[in-house]
Amino acid sequence: MNTSASMLQRRDADAADFPFIATWLGRPVTPAEHGERWRVVAAADGMPRAALRLVPAIGLTLPRVSFHVGCVVHAARELGLFHRQRTLQLGHDHTGASELADIAWARDHQGTGLGLPEQAAALRALLADALDCIVQQRGRYAPTLIAELPGPRDAAGHSPLWLGLGRHFYRGDPAAAWATHGPAWRSHLAPLLPQQMVYTSFLPPVAEAAIGGVAEPARLLLELLEDAGFRYGHHVNVEDGGPIMERALD
Amino acid sequence: MNPTRFLFRAAGPADIDAFERAAADSVIGITTLPADRARLAERLERSAAAFASADDASGEEIHLFVVEDLERPPGQRVVGTSGIAASAGFADRFYCYRNEMVVHHSAALNAGNRIHTLHLCHDLTGHTLLTSFWIDPAYADTAAPQLLSRARLLFIAEFAERFSDRIAAESPGLADEAGRCPFWDAVGRRFFDMDYPQIERLTGGRSKAFIAELMPHSPIYVPLLPDEAQWAIGQMHPVAELPFSILLDEGFDTETYVDIFDGGPTVDARVAMLKTVAASRRGPWREASAAGGAATDWQLVATTRRADFAALLVPGAAADDALPLPAGAAAHLRLAPGEAVRSAAFAPAGVNA
Repeated sequence: MNTSASMLQRRDADAADFPFIATWLGRPVTPAEHGERWRVVAAADGMPRAALRLVPAIGLTLPRVSFHVGCVVHAARELGLFHRQRTLQLGHDHTGASELADIAWARDHQGTGLGLPEQAAALRALLADALDCIVQQRGRYAPTLIAELPGPRDAAGHSPLWLGLGRHFYRGDPAAAWATHGPAWRSHLAPLLPQQMVYTSFLPPVAEAAIGGVAEPARLLLELLEDAGFRYGHHVNVEDGGPIMERALD
Repeated sequence: MNPTRFLFRAAGPADIDAFERAAADSVIGITTLPADRARLAERLERSAAAFASADDASGEEIHLFVVEDLERPPGQRVVGTSGIAASAGFADRFYCYRNEMVVHHSAALNAGNRIHTLHLCHDLTGHTLLTSFWIDPAYADTAAPQLLSRARLLFIAEFAERFSDRIAAESPGLADEAGRCPFWDAVGRRFFDMDYPQIERLTGGRSKAFIAELMPHSPIYVPLLPDEAQWAIGQMHPVAELPFSILLDEGFDTETYVDIFDGGPTVDARVAMLKTVAASRRGPWREASAAGGAATDWQLVATTRRADFAALLVPGAAADDALPLPAGAAAHLRLAPGEAVRSAAFAPAGVNA
């Protein structure tokens, strides 16, 4: 199979693509709205390989929350104490930013597994296409572009950060809330979460370690985002602690 | 034991042995008494100076008291200690955690949550602080601990201008024999890498403020703490139950504050609202006619002299005119004829005086 990027088509998604995208995401597809676009990279035969939702500005209707991962130093020279503490502060720091949302891609092609190089080629083309789309309509997008990555999961599929933090503040099931509300559920979750700064040393070690960590299946995407100029900006998503990657557009 | 055998009085430098015994006998963190003879002697000198001082109060004063069993041989009479610090956190800040409940709600998720948080605060800075309570265990069930704790309040009522109109008292929190303290282990240890006895030695009588400044200044979300630490919040060490119950009976509030180190309850009140203070009255005394029969009413009676303050318990009801006192009681208090005394009805719950 030819996997060179030149053979990949770039186009807006159509109705036939959405069942594939939903499979890759493992949840229903969020429809594009407010000037958003679903973009797809497809193989020569038209089969979709990767997709994302290009969002001009987030958090302007429904507040978009994240944790800022900060640092506080407690030092006392007379006691010989010097402690660096990590902190989580709930906020809406990315309000107005543009986003590459729901980035998803195929792991196989008509039942045949796709190798990492082929997956990477599709993702690289997808990210390049998104940046091209933004350049073509530059005025519609913000100075900052973000992309969220999912945080780590344990063997049972649970997020260690959720078990150590979130579940103490919302007793419901995050998967059920996703099913009902889609990605907006995190905005609905926000008023239940700690509004004041939390020292991460109060969390269990596994939860602390999950902050800013990436789920194993998303490692490839992390690499390609970094190749495309994205950096970790010390913000993580409030549910599982996955990093929010940032890139300046100008 | 007959309540009339106990005498409460201002402590002096000669009481050093009793204070040393109290400090040695106290669990970690129970009193503000250092287990160090030289420092105890210095405390007693400061206290004596405070009782004798003709100057206006600065807030720095400490007043230490003892209770004596007058039926013991001279030199072995002291069976308990107590104290008052005029102003908590004098010249610095007095730190404690304030219990607060925050209610979170999400209409979209149709969910709400009532969350217990601890806020580092200075609320009690400047309050008068009750300190240094110790009673010989053999006297725990007598009127002595009652006298020891409550007579302090008459001193504060009589010399109100030297104290705050608000008052607080700390109680030691849960800790085991080895000094392991669940609240400290879950909170303070994360910022200090030291065990609780170590930190107590380190602060040893100094203000806790410099330690508090190393603690998180944002609220602690209690649900994030281990169960054992959550349970320890507001719980006291068993040895503190007796002095705590006396303060509770006086009307102290136990719900608002806990200690930043061990999570023990720090109680607070308005001085004027305390049972003994509210019931106290000032007036001359007169010699009582010979008493007959068993006493059912008791009066806590104190001198109105600051330098050699003393108090004791006498049988009898409050009188409208001069307070009737048995000759022996007047002698113990070294009262001149017609001298003013301050007294309050003494009827502690659960004590068969």
